[in-house]
Amino acid sequence: MEMIIAGLMDSLSPASLMFVFLGVAIGVLIGAIPGINGPMAIALFIPVTYYMSALTAIGFLVGLNKGAFFGGAVSAVLLRTPGTPEAAATSWDGYPLTQQGKGEKALRMALYSSVAGDFISTIVLIVIASPLAAVALFMGPAEIFALISLALTVIAGIGTSSIGRGLMAAGFGILIGLIGTEPVTALPRLTFEIYQFGSGLSLIPVAIGLLAFSEILLQLEKFTVKGGGKQTIHESSSKPEDRMLTFKEFFASGKTLLRGSMIGIGVGAMPGLGAPVASFMSYDQAMKRSKNREEFGKGSLEGIGASESANSAVVASSMIPLFVLGIPGNLAVAMLMGAFMIHGMQPGPLMFQENAQLMYGIYGSLIIASLFLLVIGRLGLRYFCKAVNIPAMILYPIVVFTCIMGAYLGKSSMFDVGVMLAFGFIGYFMRKFDYSYVAFLIGFILAPEWERALQQVVIISEYDTLMFFQRPVAMGLMALTIFVIVRTFLINIKKKPVEVAAAAAGQHKAD
Amino acid sequence: MTRIKRDSIAYLVIAVFCLLMLAWGIPTYTPDYPGYGASPALVPNVAVGIMLFMACLSLLRIGVAVYLKKTIPAAESKFPEDMEEGAGFTQVGRVKLLHLASTMIPCVLLVVAIEHIAYIFVSFVFLMVFQYVIGNRKWGQSVLVSIILTAVLYIVMRYGFGVPVPGPQLF
Repeated sequence: MEMIIAGLMDSLSPASLMFVFLGVAIGVLIGAIPGINGPMAIALFIPVTYYMSALTAIGFLVGLNKGAFFGGAVSAVLLRTPGTPEAAATSWDGYPLTQQGKGEKALRMALYSSVAGDFISTIVLIVIASPLAAVALFMGPAEIFALISLALTVIAGIGTSSIGRGLMAAGFGILIGLIGTEPVTALPRLTFEIYQFGSGLSLIPVAIGLLAFSEILLQLEKFTVKGGGKQTIHESSSKPEDRMLTFKEFFASGKTLLRGSMIGIGVGAMPGLGAPVASFMSYDQAMKRSKNREEFGKGSLEGIGASESANSAVVASSMIPLFVLGIPGNLAVAMLMGAFMIHGMQPGPLMFQENAQLMYGIYGSLIIASLFLLVIGRLGLRYFCKAVNIPAMILYPIVVFTCIMGAYLGKSSMFDVGVMLAFGFIGYFMRKFDYSYVAFLIGFILAPEWERALQQVVIISEYDTLMFFQRPVAMGLMALTIFVIVRTFLINIKKKPVEVAAAAAGQHKAD
Repeated sequence: MTRIKRDSIAYLVIAVFCLLMLAWGIPTYTPDYPGYGASPALVPNVAVGIMLFMACLSLLRIGVAVYLKKTIPAAESKFPEDMEEGAGFTQVGRVKLLHLASTMIPCVLLVVAIEHIAYIFVSFVFLMVFQYVIGNRKWGQSVLVSIILTAVLYIVMRYGFGVPVPGPQLF
């Protein structure tokens, strides 16, 4: 009990409150800019958190992620340009309302739905993560090895139309993650006589390169090829009933919000699915069960509520696998995992024993971030709307220069800037050729843990290759891994090769 | 070049890279087996093995499909940018090498130059060049953005985080 109170008090310290507030505000602002999403914002801001305490840093990044999720709805509603895939369903009903002069009302619905989904999900995380982690403590190295293998296989399907290419990307990520000092012999491995490789590649330049720099390379391509232009926002109606959202209107979608939140929590807790799946699933269910089904797609507040409550619920619930098993379920959480590691912590069930006070502090920050999102969104809505029209000519140089200086900031090393540029270049080709950079990044982050678990299995079992057969949970997880691979292959093999590539154009998978 | 040809070339490049790693990279740059635990080369070999297996399987699959004439005709295999607007969120498409080079080269030159020439001067020049490359021809705006961004990041790094900027600071 003392730990809980101490942790919550930490989260109420002025520094923690200030950085959570800043995180949410910057997150909403950045998310509102088309083309910049939560994981990209986290990658850009991780170097800044080097200079913060662990709780402040995690609170700031969590706030950033929560803010960016809502911010994505701003451009989706006002411009029908969803900055992130999960905001696409929001634009289906949000933009028609903007055309009717009710953009502000749509954004208020999006805000309150986001806060509701996020708050419910945060409470569920707090209630179930700790007991589940206690159960997870009974898992040994064999189970952890099998679990990471399964996670890598499932995650290999994110952001690509082919699990084969996803596995290649994950394999490449693991290989890059193994560069550095080999854990058993403590001798350099795969360093190619480049001394800077001796301590391994840092997450920061790799993540900034893959997530932010390569994204800017692609956006610049569209910008310079098609020609950049300022998009116009429809004028908002001056009638109060068109701008304000009444309690009656909001609570008319109560069931939809609750259902959306539950879908978001369920999807977020499963590694590999992500917010877009939750958003589309919730929208689909809301449409099927609504009395006003014909209004969907034409400006339904219920449609906005369904999409936003579900995708925001994913933010907190996707931390369940991270806190319980130490496995990141999506890209934003992978970035958060990196931030934990930078601050000397290994996410997983042991965190509840080793850093209990910090964990309760993080819980406190999560709740505070939800409240700040409500306040900042409510007071700053009109100002954030202006962010969607920041000229690309000004935005791109700022992002590129921030990428360069962000990569430098971690170790004050220009070598890291070179690494960032190299991975920006690699990321550009991975995106163009449909290789999952998400699988690469998660493979890169999990590689050391995967190898450590394997080493422990080999040493404990005394080279008994049948050890997995004596551990039913590990055997079950390995069997599931093989089943996922075989099943996906059988599905993919029936498609024609080019058809597989063409299918990517219509896919709505992402981070 | 059709997408099927491009994918085949990519698989071939990956397969060659994997073979090179298995034959030379991993054996040369991995410590010897210390006599306990798993070999230091095991996990790198598994990672590269997965990549090689998948690349070969993908090549085989394309080969079989071409042999059995079960591929979609090249004309029907469009790149997303040739399709209608809003085809999805994927970024699969043609590589625009000229664009890539024009964006990457100023960045690479910045990395090389910044350690020898003053941060403020190099950053200002880089930002001016970069804005020109992306098509900004409003000189007043370019100068303003370059000065403000260089100054803000200098102040944030130097006085906010206490981190020295790369290379000589002013001159």
